[in-house]
Amino acid sequence: MTTTMAPAVASMPRHDVYRTQLTRVTLVWVLTALVLFPVLAILGLLMRTQQGGYLQAVPPEYFYAIMTLHGLGMVGLWFVAGMAGVSVLLANYVRPTPVVSWIAYGATLAGVVLLIGDQWLPADQYWRYFLYPLPFFSGGTWPAWATAALFVALGIMGVGWTLWSGDLLWAIARKFRLSHALGWQYLSGSAAPEVPPIVIISTVSLIGVLAGLVAAVVILTLVGVERLGGNFTNDALLIKNLTFYFGHMLVNITMYFGVAMVYEVLPAYAGRPWKTNALVVASWNLVLFLVMFAYLHHLYMDFAQPQWLQVFGQLSSYLISVPAAVVTIFSTLVLLYGSTMRWRLPSVMLFLGVMGWAIGGVAAVIDSTVAVNTHFHNTLWVPAHFHTYYVLGVVLMILGTVFHLVTDLSKLPESGALTRAIVGTVGIGGYGFVLMFYLAGVAGVPRRYAVYPEELAVGTQYAKISLAFITILLAGALIYIWETWRRCVKALSL
Amino acid sequence: MGTPFAVFVVSTLIIVGVFAGVALGTRRPHPVDYPKSTRLRTMFFVALAAILIAFLVFTLPRLPYSLAAGAPARIVHAVGKQYAWSLTDGSGPTLANWDREFSPTVTVPAGTPVEFRVTTLDANHGFSLYAPDGHLVAQTQAMPGYVNRLRVVFDKPGTYAVLCLEFCGMSHHRMRGVVEVRR
Repeated sequence: MTTTMAPAVASMPRHDVYRTQLTRVTLVWVLTALVLFPVLAILGLLMRTQQGGYLQAVPPEYFYAIMTLHGLGMVGLWFVAGMAGVSVLLANYVRPTPVVSWIAYGATLAGVVLLIGDQWLPADQYWRYFLYPLPFFSGGTWPAWATAALFVALGIMGVGWTLWSGDLLWAIARKFRLSHALGWQYLSGSAAPEVPPIVIISTVSLIGVLAGLVAAVVILTLVGVERLGGNFTNDALLIKNLTFYFGHMLVNITMYFGVAMVYEVLPAYAGRPWKTNALVVASWNLVLFLVMFAYLHHLYMDFAQPQWLQVFGQLSSYLISVPAAVVTIFSTLVLLYGSTMRWRLPSVMLFLGVMGWAIGGVAAVIDSTVAVNTHFHNTLWVPAHFHTYYVLGVVLMILGTVFHLVTDLSKLPESGALTRAIVGTVGIGGYGFVLMFYLAGVAGVPRRYAVYPEELAVGTQYAKISLAFITILLAGALIYIWETWRRCVKALSL
Repeated sequence: MGTPFAVFVVSTLIIVGVFAGVALGTRRPHPVDYPKSTRLRTMFFVALAAILIAFLVFTLPRLPYSLAAGAPARIVHAVGKQYAWSLTDGSGPTLANWDREFSPTVTVPAGTPVEFRVTTLDANHGFSLYAPDGHLVAQTQAMPGYVNRLRVVFDKPGTYAVLCLEFCGMSHHRMRGVVEVRR
């Protein structure tokens, strides 16, 4: 068995009061994520179990409650984990405010408690997907106050996240002008002032977060006015555009947080620098523009949407893959090839995370083709591709970075055997799990079905097989969680 | 949908192969050959751009929205409501006359264009047509306040299922209609 330490670069900041405060709040975020991750993952396992034909005695209402909790929970979890990870890495260059991170933590916790209480404490209230106007058509299964509580909870979290994003941007702005933080000086041939890639990617991402949250505020306002204003009725297509703009933005930005971590942490293991240049700057500024339009591929099956927007949706979805592939993914490979790479758990997870991002990205580009989307839209191809670039992409990037930071802080050595066990189980379990989604998607099996109809019984078979892979994946995740948890606890006690 | 899946599988194998090659490449450390990596990046960019342009050229003419082929042989009004599809020749039921006008089944001819005018009386629904062998033939969304027009030519007669492909509530998976296609 080999034992190794994380390289002492790109590390968790410490040694003074400010850094101790930031470290403490970051470790609390990490510990919370380590608790929520397996709970939410087990909810996913329960969903596939019911889709596999087991747990038939459980009413479908519970499936849809679990589905919403699993989906919203995972998206929210990895967003805040990404924010926490990026903020602590940014602290190597700028000074985010720890107390704002605590406020965001409090708001997130309050929002989650309100959501869970809203849905689960009354015996007959259930969570549901919140695409307008569904929350207002309960079919008698939830009262009006439950819908109000849903939007209040989302609003509280939105306020906390807005403050957090604003503080990170403010921290960057105190050191760099906006044009410099976006790296525009590199485009005019100057490398002064030098700006690390993580600052540029974070600036792009945080602007994106705020742009997304603006849409969320507009949705809440419009829907609120409708409920309070009598005869006013919202345009369902407009709200749908805003909802997917917000949701797609949040998910994409979470990806970019993971990529920012790759830029910051992976060079420490490769023994080579990853410096900003004009190509990196052009790529991320292009992303800032395109990411606002990529969401349009969610509305291809809304035939009322103007056709030029549908074509533009395919164009922008195709275009946004180019900077990701040609700049970030290609540069990762150049950084590593022939390097004195130290293969440790963090570097392996970051490397595999980039690979998962690439594979999930291909599946996403395929689905963003209108002619293909006709057959894949809202089938299991959709969770197939987003689980690929989440579970096997950004989650690996974030968890790899977390392990890097807590190992560095706790000074606990890494076990080579456990690293191999984690990588092996997550690799086999993860790719087997998403493969079952892909195959079912190709067969036209719908997503978000508690029970498959007779003519789509093949979906039941794929769900059954996926249970084995999910179990393997969970085993690997639990080993990782245990190893990270004890490092976190030790780091907090130092 | 074999072609998109084949594209995905081949792409995945290439990606895994390249990543494995790079990982193995760390066994023999050497300095970065920047001119070579720039040439490779340029080639990669050109290849990726060519592939994406080819996909655009091949797929954009196949958009599902065209209504230019003249009047359809048959118009069916598909109206969604938690948790049923009404399929009728007339303008379709309203909330007021749902019980009287609702029909879960419609019969249409094979081999000629049929236009489904799809809307909803409550939440968003997903109108999808599944062939007797279980494959997804076509779909569009049912949106409050809008009518989406979906044209389909049924090649083979048989019983096609109409399922909901947009989560619409607790009995979403039970929401269905029937399109009987006859010669």
